[in-house]
Amino acid sequence: MDSIKLIIEEHKLLGDQLFKLAKSELIKTYRASAFGWAWALVKPTVRIFVFWFAFTVGLRAGKPVEGYPYILWLVAGFLPWFYMQDMLNGGAGCIRKHNHLVTKMKFPVSTIPTFVSISHLYVHWVLLGITIVLFMAFGFMPDIYYLQIIFYMILMFVFFTIWGLLAGLLAAISQDFQNLVRSFTQAIFWMSGVMYNVDIIHNPTIRLLLKFNPITVISGGYRKAFIYKQWFWEDPVELGCFCVTLIVFTLLALWAFKHLRKEVPDVL
Amino acid sequence: MENEKEVVVRFDHVTKEYRLYKSEKARFRGLFNKNVPHKINKAVNDLSFEIRRGDAVSLIGRNGAGKSTILKMITGVTFPTSGDVEVNGTISALLELRAGFDANFTGRENIYLKCELMGLTQDEIKALEPEIIEFADVGEYIDQPLKTYSSGMKARLGFAICVNVNPDILIIDEALSVGDKRFRKKCTQKVHEIMSREDVTLLFVTHSLDAAQDFCKRGIVLEKGVKLFDGDIEEAIEFYNARE
Repeated sequence: MDSIKLIIEEHKLLGDQLFKLAKSELIKTYRASAFGWAWALVKPTVRIFVFWFAFTVGLRAGKPVEGYPYILWLVAGFLPWFYMQDMLNGGAGCIRKHNHLVTKMKFPVSTIPTFVSISHLYVHWVLLGITIVLFMAFGFMPDIYYLQIIFYMILMFVFFTIWGLLAGLLAAISQDFQNLVRSFTQAIFWMSGVMYNVDIIHNPTIRLLLKFNPITVISGGYRKAFIYKQWFWEDPVELGCFCVTLIVFTLLALWAFKHLRKEVPDVL
Repeated sequence: MENEKEVVVRFDHVTKEYRLYKSEKARFRGLFNKNVPHKINKAVNDLSFEIRRGDAVSLIGRNGAGKSTILKMITGVTFPTSGDVEVNGTISALLELRAGFDANFTGRENIYLKCELMGLTQDEIKALEPEIIEFADVGEYIDQPLKTYSSGMKARLGFAICVNVNPDILIIDEALSVGDKRFRKKCTQKVHEIMSREDVTLLFVTHSLDAAQDFCKRGIVLEKGVKLFDGDIEEAIEFYNARE
């Protein structure tokens, strides 16, 4: 409980500064290269093209889904994945990367994952805008279901900010943890429902287990809004699974903050 | 008269231990299991002192006496293992002048970045900006990315920010040894100027006893984290020299 209070106080202390730091985080990432901002778009575009090529041209598997071309189905699920991927790795590295804030000055450490997460969210908004335009270019206009993107975006932001706090602290204490996350990012990608629809898996146990994975739920949620036109309350089991995972990770993050916060400046 | 002023820094039986493990693996296990074998290094050992508003105190001691650890605890960067550290007032620490800068930002942007991190508002920074730039004396480089700066220029900019933010407590750790003679003189003058304001407290760490004598009235002699002497600066220096 004390940890929650402290974390909230630290965020209040920083206030608007959070958004400024998020902005400078972005500028820092993209200014160093001549083409700057373009890289934020090139990376996802190349990723999606490669997967589209492999599945449609190479494996000849990419069939249209619900009347939507396969490429749009891909884009809808990949869109949140780019943010999640950045946060999986960036979250784990966030405190180590900003170690000057921890070891050289008094700074509310719990806010580091938050502004890192916000900065990735800015990129996400740009990609979201492009995705909507892309759907419109294919002749699919926005409808009421698009509203639930906001819902899933909030779930995603909350979960991965908490993940950033937990993973950032653990990785600050031990480099091994960061290597672990890095090594497993690809595995996590293929074990989540980014590349396939979890609902058509035959084995019910595996189907249920995969729903405890927030990446599956969020990626699926964006597809529900863009493609399947379902509301989130139509699958309460899925939402329940997500909440269980969220609570577990929140408790872990609070534990980590309570026990590791004071260790971090001594080991970094 | 000194005793009437409020206490700005209070150390109450403060001990800071660093646990030393044989390897990274042992350190990792040590997080979860307190029985993993390790050595304990007491950087600060049962230390108590009080510093009142307006004091100018010098911490004197050899390498490893715990001076930097004490400053880190005062600034709130690191936390004591046991005991209490109490600090009242805003702190500006010249611990590492180049800390908190980003090489890809220009000098001007770094001023804003660092001042924001120190908790100043946009308006306050805007008001301080010309003074900081003037003091840093980096010329047109102020709008160039910091990676083009020489190490002296970076240190000057760092110093300029720290001394111009009007702190209640100014902490200087070896910082006066940067730059050329002219800049050192300018820094010394500036610190004197800050000190002439009654309500500013100075904590000074240096190996240069002359500088300590120049700025401070009180000296604390430390050895291996233990306070050996606390009193008038001249007596402190005498005490320290006698132990050498």
